Amino acid sequence: MEELFEDIEKLASVEKRVAMATLVATRGTSPKREGAKMWVGEEGRILGSVTIGGCVDARVIAESEKALSSSQPRLLEMRLGDEDAWEIGFSCAGELDVLIEPIEISNGQVIDLYRRVRASVDQGKCAVLVTPLKDSTSKLLVLENGEISGTLGSNDLDREAHTTALELLRKRTSSTVNLGGEPVFFEVHGPPRTLIVFGAGHVSMPLISLAHDLGLKTILVDGRPRFATRERFPDADELLIGIPSEIAQTLAYTSSTFVVLTAHDYKYDLPVLKVVLPARPAYVGLLGSKRRGHAIKEFLRESGMDESLFDQLHVPTGLDIGGDTAAEIALSILAEAVAIKSGRPAAFLKDRK
Amino acid sequence: MPALYSDILLDHFRHPRNYGDLTAPDITYENVNPLCGDRIRIEIRVNDSIVEEARFKGDGCAISLAAASLLTELIRGIPIDELSNFSNDRLITALESEIKPARIACALLPLEALRAGLKAYTSR
Repeated sequence: MEELFEDIEKLASVEKRVAMATLVATRGTSPKREGAKMWVGEEGRILGSVTIGGCVDARVIAESEKALSSSQPRLLEMRLGDEDAWEIGFSCAGELDVLIEPIEISNGQVIDLYRRVRASVDQGKCAVLVTPLKDSTSKLLVLENGEISGTLGSNDLDREAHTTALELLRKRTSSTVNLGGEPVFFEVHGPPRTLIVFGAGHVSMPLISLAHDLGLKTILVDGRPRFATRERFPDADELLIGIPSEIAQTLAYTSSTFVVLTAHDYKYDLPVLKVVLPARPAYVGLLGSKRRGHAIKEFLRESGMDESLFDQLHVPTGLDIGGDTAAEIALSILAEAVAIKSGRPAAFLKDRK
Repeated sequence: MPALYSDILLDHFRHPRNYGDLTAPDITYENVNPLCGDRIRIEIRVNDSIVEEARFKGDGCAISLAAASLLTELIRGIPIDELSNFSNDRLITALESEIKPARIACALLPLEALRAGLKAYTSR
């Protein structure tokens, strides 16, 4: 997501008009998800991609140039045969729709909307930009707090779009949905996925490195300066040393935040969980046995915590992949966190219906 | 032989006294056990060279948290120049528990924080 905002700022400094190509629908297995963008500048600059390159991106570039010449948006609907699909990274024949909109990059209305989206994301909040595919000039912006601006043309449509936007925002999924019989694209933006690890033990080291490789922002918290070192955690974006529960109160927890407690120590786990669970991040995992999990929940219950918060606590943390080493345990934890965030069952893909 | 965890220790652990922060404390010091990770911060407000108020914050084991809680009660009203005489034994005895040698460092963590903070305060 940050890449999108960076691309906008890069282009704004060198181009006046650009074509913004957005992948708005895919049917079949796609290498990119809805919301992927490619920018084609009037001066010829190209940033981003809606597939992994190849003939589809080439066609998008050609159509973008036409859109810039005509100053008219266009919806590109591509039906790929098996041969084409293999070439661009689809594993089978599929369909994809790309909306191409010519826009003023420096100070146009669309860019203004994206800057508002960015302001929301910078504050740790999601935002949804709603665009009718048949008339992309009218847009609606829905913020996580429910605030809206712009219109799709009627109050009824705006209300319906508002409800759908908040549902998709919770799933953090961009998608095209039919509203009033017309296709409307909901482009969901949110803060970067972040992993916060409490405890600087041996499992935390590969956990932070693996999360870093997955593109997550990583934060490590511990009270012990001898453990929470740059040498042990070269990939941590932030190393925070202090009273863990006090640090926990200063961190932001969004629908894109994974929290994992690896200290395996009540003195850290209980006070930190008292802060983290009510904040309802995307995932909370606790290293330890089921028995320990029951004991932790009992302590939290005794301290007056609402039991409905326990559902989100994954203890033992991780998937049952037979993980034994610290790296394998880290892999199982992140696999579970990603599956929970995506609302997927974390089962074998070969069994997927 | 005192109990492993006395009633007073358990009471202070479960219901810590003076937990929290002071606004603009005169003395503040955070101490950590570098291996187990117990971390306690002691804050003191001084008025007329007397401990007017003491608070603590931290994540630690039952012994270190109970000791910190108890310490904040015990030092209130003591003249600053007498604080350095507050002995290890006085705190350990007040806990009324059989603190094993391996856990003495836990019990004394808040007192060492107090001493370090006091040293910085008196030498300024």
